Amino acid sequence: MRIKSPKDFWAGLMFIGTGLFFAIWAYAYYQMGTAVRMGPAYFPFVLGGLLVFLGVLVLIEGFALEASGGPLQLPFSLLDLLIALAIFAVLIYLAAKAGISSDYGMLAASLVVTVLTVLYRPNAKALVLISVACLVYGYLMKPLGLVAATAALVFISAYGGHEFKWKEVSILFVLLIVFSYLVFVKGLTLPFPMWPAAWS
Amino acid sequence: MELFDNLILGFGVAITPINLLYALIGVLLGTLIGVLPGVGPVATIAMLLPITFNLNPVSALIMLAGIYYGAQYGGSTTAILVNIPGESSSVVTCLDGYQMARQGRAGPALAIAAIGSFFAGCVATLLIAVAAPPLAELALKFGPSEYFSLMVFGLIAATVLARGSLIKAIAMVVLGLLLGLIGTDVNSGVLRFTFGIPELSDGIGFVVVAMGMFGTAEIISNLDLKDKREVFLSKVTHLYPTKEDLKRAWAPIMRGTALGSCLGILPGGGALLSSFGAYTLEKKLSNHPEQFGKGAIEGVAGPESANNAGAQTSFIPMLTLGIPGNAVMALMIGALMIQGIAPGPQVMNEKPQLFWGLIASMWLGNLMLVVLNLPMIGMWVKLLTVPYRYLFPSILVFMAIGVFSLSNNPFDVLIMAVFGVLGYICVKLECEPAPMILGFILGPLMEENLRRAMLLSRGDPFVFFQKPISLGFMIASAVLLVIVALPAIRKKREEAFVEEAK
Repeated sequence: MRIKSPKDFWAGLMFIGTGLFFAIWAYAYYQMGTAVRMGPAYFPFVLGGLLVFLGVLVLIEGFALEASGGPLQLPFSLLDLLIALAIFAVLIYLAAKAGISSDYGMLAASLVVTVLTVLYRPNAKALVLISVACLVYGYLMKPLGLVAATAALVFISAYGGHEFKWKEVSILFVLLIVFSYLVFVKGLTLPFPMWPAAWS
Repeated sequence: MELFDNLILGFGVAITPINLLYALIGVLLGTLIGVLPGVGPVATIAMLLPITFNLNPVSALIMLAGIYYGAQYGGSTTAILVNIPGESSSVVTCLDGYQMARQGRAGPALAIAAIGSFFAGCVATLLIAVAAPPLAELALKFGPSEYFSLMVFGLIAATVLARGSLIKAIAMVVLGLLLGLIGTDVNSGVLRFTFGIPELSDGIGFVVVAMGMFGTAEIISNLDLKDKREVFLSKVTHLYPTKEDLKRAWAPIMRGTALGSCLGILPGGGALLSSFGAYTLEKKLSNHPEQFGKGAIEGVAGPESANNAGAQTSFIPMLTLGIPGNAVMALMIGALMIQGIAPGPQVMNEKPQLFWGLIASMWLGNLMLVVLNLPMIGMWVKLLTVPYRYLFPSILVFMAIGVFSLSNNPFDVLIMAVFGVLGYICVKLECEPAPMILGFILGPLMEENLRRAMLLSRGDPFVFFQKPISLGFMIASAVLLVIVALPAIRKKREEAFVEEAK
């Protein structure tokens, strides 16, 4: 099927879905109130409805069937996105079940998604590796300290680029960690641990 | 004259060594990120926001403001020498600036851009000093209904001026408003849309959203493209423009300044729109439109003056009304709030040193930019030869440190990554992130004012059409919407953006 603007079609669906979610959630869980004394549900409910309406307009605009248009394809894979989300959800749940911090579930899921992406979806490398690099940085900081977290961020994100040379990236890492230490830890006295907590 | 007393007070504050130093740091940093493509003022200011906590409020704002207008100077250098916009607002400068450079006239192009920017900066600074006090005076009379109508007007203006589809832009604003509501409801104390996550009870931090939508999303989109950049390495000789150049450039500089000053004040305006507008205007007015795109100096002078003027006058609504017109101004408001200063019309009376010191520092900063930058162009050009594969991990490190240090909680970094993915999806679906950010900031403010206005009017929605100021904003919003919805104008608007963006 070819439609005029597949981008508008999907954007419209996104707006409708989000609007419905906010409106229904607000209606179901919070008090509506009246126009004089608005409850917590009032404003989000109205906005959600408005978003659905706008989404329908966008959808209609994009939906006009036309020979010159593109196929009804998302510019990215929705299924892949859902699989990635599912991996995160399952591993975080398992970590909580096993009684360890969900942070470790997050880290494990990041690892799995990264490996899967590199192996099977080279096109999504930039998107996944950049996002995962940030995540890993955040969740490694407390247990392993600034040096390890920065190393993870620099190497993972650099691997998401077009060219990856061990030597270059290592030099870059050393420069960045020295800079971070001098400016943020020494200069601005941000309370970051430098090394793994177990060492001290 | 009160104006002069105020300006003298301002210069007294701005000229202290510590503030001069921060102004210098700000403009240098601004030029640096302006020169480098792929790093914008929004991400930079967002990165530095946690750090400003350790500074005094005046120095913090002076530095952050310097980054914004400094970036306008730096952006033109990259546009002229490399044909890549260092800053989104210098997209149009590429058209004629790069052609001038190819004809061996890179020097005059750079000089005219700097002179135009400086002139625009001086005028805009003066304009802020003159226009801000009466506006703030007026704003003190605003009640909740006026504020609500003003925000409606602001949001609509922002969507009209955004690129791409109008309906999508409005939808993005609404999406932003909804996301802004996440967190504790001020009136009832109910936790809304937090899904049992304790970190969400204070709402999502604006800095985190901005970093994700503008920072990581931009890096990901940049990596999707191939990293190719050729620096125009011919030596930049004879910097000074000829008499002929100056004769052709002065009128565009004036017009660009005027247009940029006006558009900058409008919410959603600022530097980007001003430069697009000025280029179109110059092309229309020119006696030789065929030269545009082939190295016409007017095509550099107009937009470069306009973007600097727009960047500066966009401070006016922020300083007088406490309402941010664009993402950078929203960060400025964030900086004020970090310092415990409630933004709004009262800032000028309660903190005159802050207000006038900031204004005076803008003029000094512009002076520094002209004096320092023209001789330093060689150094900036060298920077351009740094490949993106070194740059983006460095940018990520600074963003991650900045976000993590907000509350020492990995959750913030997670949210940044989530918004990075969302921002990427929006780019792929051709939905502009800027209107969403604006909605995100204004969401809670709008709700609060709406509630108060309705409470005061006993639930009568016509209150927004009964008070004169409020009615004025509502009419202006409606007129804007109707104008843009007219088929002829709508087509033109879309054409204009498409044509210029090429």
